[in-house]
Amino acid sequence: MKCEEFQSIGLDAGTGRISAADESAAAEHAAACSRCAALAESWEAARAELSLFADATRQAQAPPRVQMRLLQELRSQKRPHQLYRRTGIIAAWGLAAAASVVAVVSWQNWRNHSAHPAIGTSIPAVTNVVPMPSSSDAVLVADEDTGAFTPLPGALPLSSDDGAVYEVRMQRASLGALGLPVNEDGASDWISVDVLVADDGTPQGVRLHEDAALSLPAQ
Amino acid sequence: MNVLGERDDVLLRRAAKGDEAAFTDLYRRHQASLYRYALRMTGNPWAAEEIVQDVFMTLIRQPKKYDAEKGEVGAFLFGITRNRVLKHLERSPRELSLDQELESGSARPPVDLLTPAFWAERRERAEHVRDAVLALPLEFREAIVLCELEELSYEEAAKKSGCPVGTIRSRLHRGRALLMARLELLRDVPRRASAGD
Repeated sequence: MKCEEFQSIGLDAGTGRISAADESAAAEHAAACSRCAALAESWEAARAELSLFADATRQAQAPPRVQMRLLQELRSQKRPHQLYRRTGIIAAWGLAAAASVVAVVSWQNWRNHSAHPAIGTSIPAVTNVVPMPSSSDAVLVADEDTGAFTPLPGALPLSSDDGAVYEVRMQRASLGALGLPVNEDGASDWISVDVLVADDGTPQGVRLHEDAALSLPAQ
Repeated sequence: MNVLGERDDVLLRRAAKGDEAAFTDLYRRHQASLYRYALRMTGNPWAAEEIVQDVFMTLIRQPKKYDAEKGEVGAFLFGITRNRVLKHLERSPRELSLDQELESGSARPPVDLLTPAFWAERRERAEHVRDAVLALPLEFREAIVLCELEELSYEEAAKKSGCPVGTIRSRLHRGRALLMARLELLRDVPRRASAGD
């Protein structure tokens, strides 16, 4: 071993960091080289003093107050986390409930709509739309008297076979919304009307039940 | 909740969810080594305390900073500690002494029946060594702290310092030389002083 090698690894003798062969080579070199022997001796003295310093700080650890502060911080971090979580759960349940209500209402509307198709948005104040019964004598079915339907303004000529006939109750004034002339004297009277509705849902003609109109009390 | 024997990363996950027992166990596993490193590097117990607290605060506030693929929790914590120490030393290169720590119960060697004079001399010598270590340039000081005081292998010290083993060996070699010279000087000062009396 040369002096340079000794200075590099020889000072690690006795630490377990170098091999046994290197340790014996370093010992041989120190025995032969007084300069390196002095260096080794000086380092041993320094190492002994270092161990004093190491011993003085070997058991050192952070004071307990550090752990207390950290746990306090951990708790303060945890609290908002739980609050956000609880709020999130409540919000999620609220949203789910609202969605359920909307779904039920929508379904009911759709169901009512499909059971009673619209006869056009232009007919206001229709309070009682009654689908035509299956019995042939009810509601003066149009096919028995197609000529009695008064075509609405702008409506195409349509036979009752091409559409559906609905009996509705309405105030006479509502006929005005369909484009028909209305006598102001009996505008508030309740009347029964057959409405001829095309396949696309638009009203095409109306037929008044004069007798029904007379018998119905005004509400 | 029993956390004994749990891996550090498991404890960290639990601690991130607010598990105090897991956090406490994680803290107790690592605080002493981190504190010792900070103390030996800065020479200031207050700074070491602040650094350790800061490191674990980071763990509480940003647990996702830890990436298990990059290494173990211990290495992650040491890395943060090292950065904090370096920043601290940049701000105040020469710190106060370790007097307080050396006098405190936690850092004192086991008491036996030796004389007060022995303890006084021993403490004085330890203070000399401390001064000599703190007087070393930062990279040499770190090599001395890790390899001589923490007694890590060259490989471990290199890993912690983030440099090759050869660099650690080189730093240690130069650090030892400077330390020996410094200690010689410190040993000679009292001798010269007493010789002059």
